[in-house]
Amino acid sequence: MLKFLRFKHKTLSITKEDESFSFRKYSWKQFKKNKAAFWSLILLLVWVFIALLAPVIANEKPLYCIYKGNKLYPAFSSKEIYELTDAAGKKSETISLNNFDWKRVEYEKVIWAYCAYSPGKSDAMNTIVAPGGEQVFKKANEELIVMPTKFKHRMGTTKDGGDVLAGLVHGVKYSLFIGILSMLLASFVGIVLGAMAGYFGDSGMKTRRGVFWLSCLGIFFAWYYAFYTRSFVLKDVMEEGGGNMVFQLLLSLLILSVVFFVFVFIGKKMSSLSFLKKEVNVPVDSIVSRTIEIINSLPMFLVILSIAAISRPSFTTLVLIIGFSSWTGIARFTRAEFLKVSKLDYIQAARSLGLTNRKIIFRHALPNAIGPALVAIAFGIAGAILTESSLSFIGVGVPPEIVTWGKILSEAKQSASSWWLVLFPGIAIFLTVTMYNLIGEGLRDALDPKLKK
Amino acid sequence: MFKYIGKRILLFIPTLFIITLLGFVIAINAPGDPVEKLVSSATQTGDLASNNSAQKEQKLFWRKKLGLDLPVFYMAVSSLSRPDTLYKVYEKEENQALERLITEYGNWSEISAYYLSCHRLYDSLASFKPDTTMLKEFAGLDEQLNQLRFESLALSAAYEGEVIASKFKKMNDVLAKYPFFKSIEKQLKQTETHFAGIKANSSVWKNYIPAIDFYGVKNQYHRWLFGDGEFSKGIFRFDFGISYQTKMPISEVIKTKIGWSLLFTCLSVFLAYLISIPIGVRAAQKRGGLFDRASSLVLFMLYSLPGFFVAFLLMLLLANPNMFSVLPASGVKPAEGYPEGASFFECVKISLPYVILPLICYTYSSFAFLARIMRGAMVDVIEQDYIRTARAKGLTEKKVTWKHAFRNSLFPIITVFASIFPMAIGGSVILETIFTIPGMGLEVFNAITFQNYPMIIAITTLTGFLTLVGILISDILYAVVDPRISYS
Repeated sequence: MLKFLRFKHKTLSITKEDESFSFRKYSWKQFKKNKAAFWSLILLLVWVFIALLAPVIANEKPLYCIYKGNKLYPAFSSKEIYELTDAAGKKSETISLNNFDWKRVEYEKVIWAYCAYSPGKSDAMNTIVAPGGEQVFKKANEELIVMPTKFKHRMGTTKDGGDVLAGLVHGVKYSLFIGILSMLLASFVGIVLGAMAGYFGDSGMKTRRGVFWLSCLGIFFAWYYAFYTRSFVLKDVMEEGGGNMVFQLLLSLLILSVVFFVFVFIGKKMSSLSFLKKEVNVPVDSIVSRTIEIINSLPMFLVILSIAAISRPSFTTLVLIIGFSSWTGIARFTRAEFLKVSKLDYIQAARSLGLTNRKIIFRHALPNAIGPALVAIAFGIAGAILTESSLSFIGVGVPPEIVTWGKILSEAKQSASSWWLVLFPGIAIFLTVTMYNLIGEGLRDALDPKLKK
Repeated sequence: MFKYIGKRILLFIPTLFIITLLGFVIAINAPGDPVEKLVSSATQTGDLASNNSAQKEQKLFWRKKLGLDLPVFYMAVSSLSRPDTLYKVYEKEENQALERLITEYGNWSEISAYYLSCHRLYDSLASFKPDTTMLKEFAGLDEQLNQLRFESLALSAAYEGEVIASKFKKMNDVLAKYPFFKSIEKQLKQTETHFAGIKANSSVWKNYIPAIDFYGVKNQYHRWLFGDGEFSKGIFRFDFGISYQTKMPISEVIKTKIGWSLLFTCLSVFLAYLISIPIGVRAAQKRGGLFDRASSLVLFMLYSLPGFFVAFLLMLLLANPNMFSVLPASGVKPAEGYPEGASFFECVKISLPYVILPLICYTYSSFAFLARIMRGAMVDVIEQDYIRTARAKGLTEKKVTWKHAFRNSLFPIITVFASIFPMAIGGSVILETIFTIPGMGLEVFNAITFQNYPMIIAITTLTGFLTLVGILISDILYAVVDPRISYS
């Protein structure tokens, strides 16, 4: 008896130890061991930080100033104009925030951003100036002096006199934005399609004949009501951009899903008829795999280039094209993982317990199959950033008023010896791409059970 | 084997269909009217009526020649409210305006009556010739008449109710000033009643009932693929249409431009394989050694460097008067061309310094990528049992590596071959613009800046086709390399 208890005790302690082992924790530990990948993650955080603080780091307006007795926060204000008051509290002057010459007035007290310029604005006095080169400053009384240190172009200027540092700092957010949003879209499409292909295979998805045919009809009608009848509404808001566009797109998506589910519902009801009752096979795997093959045999960069060339330049379009063209890698990895995972016992157990397919796929299989997809996503972000910078280097797809890293680099085309136009944005792109690649490699090693010791 | 190739070629058809469809969809969605671009020589200023007839003729000619007078596809999804003849309204703006009116009001019979009366109004204004007494009596009549013509033309491209109403009002005001416009005023009244009719009898519900129109083989896509036997031969017979820039056939342009791109791609692929295979093999042999770690780091950095950055760095360093000006920065030959009567080898010798920088840039990215893949594949193979057996047999390390391991690690390298192959035609758009190499990449770039869409589409389609061929070749090579794979 005693022996048995001891034995029991021992087994208990083992299970406890086993429970405390989690693959997620283990992977994170492995990931942290990889110095390069870990520091890349830190760099990513720094990048996010810079992107958030960009208006404070580089801004042509002072962060804080006391001007003629008025305390102002021009950099943080969303107002168009300021109404200044004099000592007696009367209105004395109105200044327009965007057209006011902030650098050439006298303040009682002023705090400038580290880089006192905004991207896209030009300093006509200093065009193509090297970082250490001679920079001049025109005072309010038209007198030319050597640039004061606080207004220095710390990384030089472009041929229009745009500040390189300001462009770089504000460019961080565009590169993060494009990379992450396009991959979010790609991973959504890729994971859902890949999971379905791997989980159902060619014979796993069975449905009633009625449901099948009505779903097909439903897809057509859903597209028809969501996009065809609303084509001009969508076209107009796409040109307008902004919040209204997001709202209309979401509305279209809502119509799409509602119409589709109405049709599926009718199909289910109709399937009680005997001749619609028969089960049919949906070859999900074949459909998805063929689609991936076709997309992979397209010359993607050229396709992206030509779509970006014919459409109105905007970030939304860029995110959409890059996203919809790069989901195949993620889908392939997810599919392969799902093929393995869905054979495992616990998935069979979940099936025999009568859980719905959706629940099994997303609740039980996906957490164990997401690793390789994460790796593909990290590499995909690097690729998306490269694509974006190549496109803006060529001058296609990115709105003209926005300064991105690739655009600054492309300015070097006209002035061949201006090294600062090449080096700084080039290093920024290189660092970002390397960062994501290293994170991808780190993830791959950390999530690979083969390397587990 | 041949059966397999045949099967693969059959599988090409759907993919090729999608590639051509994609190219075609991009082409017809390109902004602007191609005919406008081709007939831009005629001036838009001056008397609208007189230059219009000649221009109209020319436009009609080009429209027919480019096949733009046909429906777009074999069939089209539309709604109950849309007529299947809407494509016959050639002017893109008018077509759009009609579409929008239909979307808003949904009653085609009224809309078409309004549209026709708009055109009648314009025609009567265009044919109205004031005689000399009128011109004498009313100063500025000519200008007013032109204004009216312009307004009536703009009317048929307007779709917003307020805009149309304001145009009516403007025209009425002008017409009322003159006594001899009675008939035109009547015409305008009629147009106004037609427009009021659209508003009164709107049947929006018709928009929500889908319909499918079938057009048969007489459509733009079919013509683009197979030609019409008159002006075009279709892309299957390598007729990609004409370039808007030079009005030359695109296939001619491609023929003259493809040489340099082919040269750079082939040379760089060759060089990349030549360098990357030994590096990858060496690194894998002494895994974890100094060479492995150093080369991995360098290759990783190279892999993450964007191509245009490297190109600029090299130019700054080696083709810069302030640094080392040892190589020319752009072009593939001296600006004055080759000396007369120069032999082939002399030409090569002259061009050599021009080629070096672009070649390095072309090569380095694929080389870094290839070497990383080669190392990975080799590492996988070297751990296999049969390699241990080979070593145990007492074979030399050289023989083990090159005869047993190498051949089995070639798969990824072959896979990559498929994707490098089509670059010949797409060229590297970025590198060719930086180094101004007169190849396909620069042509794509120019086509984009000049909005020469047929060119872009032609190159995209052709590159897609070549990718398919590349994939087929790599599949065949798999079987050549690995006897275990047989496709029979």
